[in-house]
Formats: sequence, structure tokens, C-alpha cells
Amino acid sequence: MAKNHYLERFQKGWKIFILNPLGKTGIILLIIFMLMAISSFFIPLLDPMYDPMTGIDPLIKESMPPSFQHWLGTDNVGRDLFAQLMEGAKVAFIVGLASAFVSIVLGTIIGMISGYVGGITDRILMRAADIIMIMPSLVVLLILASLFGQFNIWIIVFIIAIMRWPAVSRVIRSQALSLKSRPFIEASKVAGASDIRIIFRHILPNVLPLAFLYMTFRVTSAILVEAALSFLGFGDPSQVSWGMMLQWVWKSGHMFQAPYWLLPPGICISLLTLSFYLLGRAMDEVLDPRLRKEEERK
Amino acid sequence: MIENDNKLTPIIELNGITKEYCAKATFFSKGYTSVMALDNINLAIQKGDIFGLVGQSGSGKTTLGRLLLKLESPTKGIMKFNGKSINDLKGKGLKTYRSKVQMIFQDPYQSLNPHLSIAETILEPLIVNKIGDHNSRKEKAIETLDTVGLTPGKEYYDRYPHQLSGGQRQRVAIARAIVLDPEFIVADEPTSMLDATIAIQLFKLLQQIKEKYNMTFFFITHNLAAAKYLCNKIAVIHNGIIVENGPSDQVIQHPEHPYTKQLIQAQPKLNF
Amino acid sequence: MTLLKVENLSVGYKTKKGLLNAVNNISFTLEQGKSLGFVGESGCGKTTIGMTLMGLLPENANILQGDIYFNGSNLAHFNDEKWRNFRGKEISMIFQAAMNAMNPVIRVDEQVMEAIEVHNPDMPRNEIHTKVKKLFNMVEIPENRLKDYPHQYSGGMKQRAIIAMALACNPKLIIADEPTTALDAIVQDQILKEIKEIKKGLNTSIIFISHDIAVVADVCEDICVMYGGQIVEKGKREEVFKYPRHPYTKTLLASYLNLDSDKDIKVPEIQKPPNLITLTGGCNFSASCICKSKNCINHAPEWVNLSPTHQAFCCEETLGKDKND
Repeated sequence: MAKNHYLERFQKGWKIFILNPLGKTGIILLIIFMLMAISSFFIPLLDPMYDPMTGIDPLIKESMPPSFQHWLGTDNVGRDLFAQLMEGAKVAFIVGLASAFVSIVLGTIIGMISGYVGGITDRILMRAADIIMIMPSLVVLLILASLFGQFNIWIIVFIIAIMRWPAVSRVIRSQALSLKSRPFIEASKVAGASDIRIIFRHILPNVLPLAFLYMTFRVTSAILVEAALSFLGFGDPSQVSWGMMLQWVWKSGHMFQAPYWLLPPGICISLLTLSFYLLGRAMDEVLDPRLRKEEERK
Repeated sequence: MIENDNKLTPIIELNGITKEYCAKATFFSKGYTSVMALDNINLAIQKGDIFGLVGQSGSGKTTLGRLLLKLESPTKGIMKFNGKSINDLKGKGLKTYRSKVQMIFQDPYQSLNPHLSIAETILEPLIVNKIGDHNSRKEKAIETLDTVGLTPGKEYYDRYPHQLSGGQRQRVAIARAIVLDPEFIVADEPTSMLDATIAIQLFKLLQQIKEKYNMTFFFITHNLAAAKYLCNKIAVIHNGIIVENGPSDQVIQHPEHPYTKQLIQAQPKLNF
Repeated sequence: MTLLKVENLSVGYKTKKGLLNAVNNISFTLEQGKSLGFVGESGCGKTTIGMTLMGLLPENANILQGDIYFNGSNLAHFNDEKWRNFRGKEISMIFQAAMNAMNPVIRVDEQVMEAIEVHNPDMPRNEIHTKVKKLFNMVEIPENRLKDYPHQYSGGMKQRAIIAMALACNPKLIIADEPTTALDAIVQDQILKEIKEIKKGLNTSIIFISHDIAVVADVCEDICVMYGGQIVEKGKREEVFKYPRHPYTKTLLASYLNLDSDKDIKVPEIQKPPNLITLTGGCNFSASCICKSKNCINHAPEWVNLSPTHQAFCCEETLGKDKND
């Protein structure tokens, strides 16, 4: 029955969400990119030539504009750009969602504990958050990368997540602070509930929508950071990401000679981040306290 | 014999309870300012009483209720429950105490978690105190819903707070408070957010519960007439000081303190 | 002289579930210098009436039918600009939440001055000053507190300042919507005295809205009891409160506790709140009424004259049944 309640709430939210032009656009864009990411699994199966990393068209020795065989053309060693673009979508999803998920989980748990427990725990956690928050994440990543050499994609995901939880925990903490003094929390305390129970049973469901909202914004920033890192040449060399494609355009000196190579990854980065941003904005409207209150009153 | 003992030892005894809130010294101002929320409160509540604490906003009446539930601690003074000090209760002792003392909050729209069903709300005290098993808990919860007038209890069991009216929500809050069979219940303005026609039904419900389970109530209110109606004893609190304390009839008919007299004078009257 | 005449007024709110009929076909009149009280419980439509008379209905609310004649003009057909000139000048309002009705960063006297200036742009500054002083004198705020900021005032003083603001343009009618609900009993008593004195002194008409029957009875000469968007009983206060006839009025009175209420008073329970979205066209109280006539559910009862001034919106059967009790 608890499931029904959440399902009902989700459906109500979904109705507002899907009626919103921002949300609709975001969802459509997102579905397109998801299809792209899924297709990346099948393209290499057609012909090993279409493998984004190792598939080289034996007939091509230099970057070629779009043709029937290579819809978006090839890069300077004869790899298919369309296949690379699809692979890039997959990598963007992995990086964006994984790092956003980790940072949201960290940020929500730390925020709830900080807000609810308060006192010295709160102070220590929030000072830590402050320290990380003022560090420019890209610069830190660059320094770490130049110290330790090029990173594996999962390490990049992890570092982005670590750099990004403090902002989330700030927001969740302020929510937890206001929830903490709400009578239903005190009622539960009076009933003898433990702190852990109060945090996960009473506070978590109330901050969860906000956490999801922040997750969409975190996805955007994670994708951008990874793209920038790869473009600057500090990405995972074994992965084809959009940033990496741009890096190859630059390195091979095709920046101004091959628009068919330069533009698609650039446009994809912008559109994917846009779609998550639109999702976030639409969710924001769903979660707007005024709308929400109206809903509760009924 | 046992009954006599109960009469002798009050269920709640407060000796010299003082609560001071102080703003800490900041960078700009040394020293501190303090507000005296409660000043040397002495009260004894006997088992079976419905004890009314009447005061206006800012008089400290809610603070006193929160002290009794150990949601806050007094600055000075001793609080006793059944003759034993509860000042320093922690951990297990506190949990046991809280299973015997419960609270009904003022705002039924705020005191129920909107994400929990009525069943989950009422079961929580039973679950966290590890009372009974799944089936017996459910039985107890439905029985309690019936007791508070949400009949049939089964029908309300799976609902959510937003599907209930204010009066029904407050009944759920009462059910949550009595499901552990506590000895003592603090009710902090339980009807001030509700319409008069609903409030009176809740008063009648509280009276029934008191008689059925022989619970002791501590009823906090700003409404002298409600206190007179529901309580057998009344204390009037003003600026953190108890100015008058005694059986309700005596307090209303023969008030001694000027503040009580003023309060009675100011009651809106309905006679022409 | 009749100051306000409301005829067959209905107000509805558009909601997701459909049109909510907050006020349903009500009529009343108010004479100059008289006071009329609306009493009822949450959701009965009393606040909507106040908002309609001030032209302050929220966006999703509309006047569905009816006319509001105030001094000859029909307020039901006013546009925004007409309202702007009218509001505050002819009718003004005292709100419930005095704390929020004032701007926290502007001195109290300036806020009152502004209220005067809006409608009298040509009034000289010193004249406004004297007027403000006079107003504060009237509501008994000492002169040395004029230059304070709202947060320096106590709740009762804020409410007095709000009353002063409402009086700023000598309105003919003041609508007071639960003006004392947030106040302590002793302060409430003082504010009610204030309102009564102003009414007597300035010959202002007052519409007083409250859930508290004793407060309404204290201030108002005429009473309208509301339930589910309908007026169910109206008359002189003595008639309505001493000889209530409508079953809802009786329930409301029985629920009211005062210092000599009996411990075992019997109060009929209101079983079902009225559903204002799907109206049956009948009496909204019928679901909880002692009268079980099927007729009342679908057919609106008629106004039964109990005296020249006392009427009940009920069927003869119920009124008769009650008499025998």
C-alpha cells in the first residue's frame, strides 16, 4: 500500500510535469539520446569497421566528409564518426548518471545527518562541505590528472561525485533542519523512535523529491566537466567520449577543416545538458511549494 | 491499599522548575541576554486527573509540556514521574519513560507525516518499542482507531492524512498517543486549530478515553472555558509563573490572583 | 438608509476537481451605522463574502451570479480600476493576520500616511500628519510610538494600527475578518471594545466575520449564520442566539463552551462536511440534519419567517419538530 501512495504521488507529479512544455522538450531530447546510447551497442556488430575505437575503414587514410558508408564521415585514421558519436552518448550517460547518483546519495545522507543531528557533527560536516565547495573542481581534476597521469573513466566519475556533493548536502540540510522541528518528527521521537529511524523513515521521504531535482542538475555539470577534461587531454584514453572526439579534432589539426567532425559532438554536449536542465526546471515546477500545497489541501 | 499509594505519590511532581533561554555571546556582544520561560514552577498532578494549564501565548505553557516529554531539559529544578526523578533519563530509561508518557500536538496538519499511511503512523510506537508481532499490532491499531471514533477502523487503516479532515487527523494523532497505553498524556492545544463543533466532540472523546483507561491528562490551552469544561484541576500560568492553582470550580468561581480575575472578565460571554 | 444590498450572490472557485461553490445564492442588507456579523465554521464561505465585497477574490474565483449594490453602484460589475479607487476609500478591511498586513521595514505612521495619500493626493502634508495623530489617538496608541517599526509593536498594538489604517479614509463600511483570532483573550476584549466605540463614534457600518459566536454576538446587532456557502439563519442577535431555530445554529451554540457550560451537555455531531463541488440543489446541511425528509436533499428549503426580523432557511417540518423538544 505504501507503493500505491508513492505511485499516486508520482502520477500526480507526472501529470504536471508532462503538461509543462519544458518537461516535454526535455523528455523528448532525452529519449533521442537514450536511443543513441543504446544503438552504440549494436553498431559494431554490423561490421567491425564500425567499432568506434578500433574499427578502421581500410580504404580511408584521412578524414573524410559524410558519405553513404560513413554517415557523418570519418576521422583522420578512418574511424566512423557516427559510431563514435553514439558511443559518446553512452559514455555521457554513464558519467553523468553515475557521478550524479553518487554525489546525490552522499549529499542527501550527509545533509540529513548534519541537519538532524546538529551540534559538532553538523559543524564538522559542513566545514568539510565548505572546503570542497570552494575548490574549483575542474582545476583540481586537472592537477590530480597531471600528477597521476590519465585516469580511468570510473575514477573521473568518482572524483566528480566527491567534488559535487556539498551543494546538495547544503540544500538537504536546510530541509532537514526545518523538518526536524515539525511536530510529526517530535511525535515520532516521543513514541521512542531512534534517530536512524527518524532520519530514514520520516525525513528521507520528505527530502527525496528535492534530491531527485538536484540530481538532474548534477548530471548536467558532470557531463560538462568530463567533456572539458577530455577536450583538454586528461580524459580516459580508452573511452570515446564527446569531449575526447573534440580533443582528437583539435590534436589532428582539423579544427577548422572538418565541420562534420567538430560540430556533432559539440551540439550533442549542448543538447544533452540542455535536456537534463529542462527536466530539472520542469521538476522544479512540479515541486514548487505553492503547487504542492494546493495538492495537499485537496 | 495500592490505590491509596497512588493518591499519595503524584504521577508527576515538579519542584522549582526553571527554564531559561539564553542567547549566546556573539562576536559583537559579550555576555548574554536570557529569557525566563518558566520561573520556579511547583506542580503535582495526581493519577486520574485531567489537569488544565491555562495561559496566553508566550506564557511558557508549551515549554512546560515539552519539558514533561523530555523534548527539552529544565535549567533548574527536579521533575519526578511516579516518585522517581526523570531529570537525567537517557537511552533505555528515556525510552521506557516515553512509552509511558505521550503527547498530542496542536496542529493535526503538521503532526502527521504526510508520507505515512494512518496504519504506519499508529503502528510506529508499537514497532519501535517492539510490542507484539505483526498481527497483534494490526489488531491493536484497528482497535485503537475504533476507540478514537474512526469507525470502522479497518476503513481508515490504509488511508493517508491528506484524505482526512482536520478533526479526523487529530483523532489519528490521539490514537497514536494512546496506542501504547501510556499513563500520562500531554495534550498541547489539541483543538485550537479546529472548529468548535469538532472540538467539543474531541473533548468528549478525551473524557471517554480517560475514563476507559484511567489515563492522566495534562491539557494545555489558552481557552479558560475549555479547561473548565474538561479539567478537574486548573493552573493559570502567566509570564512563566503559576499564578493560580486549584480545583477548576474554585479557580473559576473564586479566583484569587488579579490576572485570573482579568482573564475571567475578558471571556466573551453569550448571555443577553 | 440602506448602505449595502447583496442579492442572490454566488461565488465559485475553479479547482482541479470542478467548480467549488463557496458562496451559494445569498442575500442580505446592511443599514448605515449598523453592524452585521457572519458566523460559521471553516469552509462556510464567510471569508469569501468579505473578499468579494473588497474586490479581492483570487484569480481562480468568480462571481457566478447576483448583484452587490453599495450606495447605488453595483460592485459586481466593477473593473480593476474602479476597484482601485473604491477600495480603502468606501470600504476597507481589517485582516486576521495583523503581523503580515504591515510592511516590516516602513515606520508605522508612514504606512498609515500612505493609506491616506493614495486616495487624497492633494491633501497637504501637515494635514495628513494631524489626521494620522488623530487616528492613533482614536485607537489609543500613545503618540511616542508613532515612529516605531511594526516589529516593535505587540500583537494588540499592531491590530490597533491596522484598524487606524482601515479608518484612514473615513470609509462607510469596514469589513473585519477574524480580527481578533490571533490575539489573547484580554487583548481581544480590548480590541472588540475599540471596534464598538469606533462604530458608535463614526457611525461606520461594520461587517464582522468570525468563527467565534461570542465575539460576533458582542459586536454585531444582526447575525447571519452560515453553513456550506448558504446563510441558514438570520436575525437580530438576541433572536438568533437566544431562540435559535435552525438545527445548525443550535449545534453551533451547543458546541460553544463558556465558563458555566455543563459537563454533560449533549451536542449533535456534524456527520458530513458539505460537498461544495457537486451541489444537490438542496439544503447543504441536510446530510447532518435531524430532519430526514428526502425533500431537503434535492429541493432548496424556503426562508421561513419566524418574526419580522428573524428568518431561517429550513423546512417547516424541521422547525416544527424542534419546537416540541
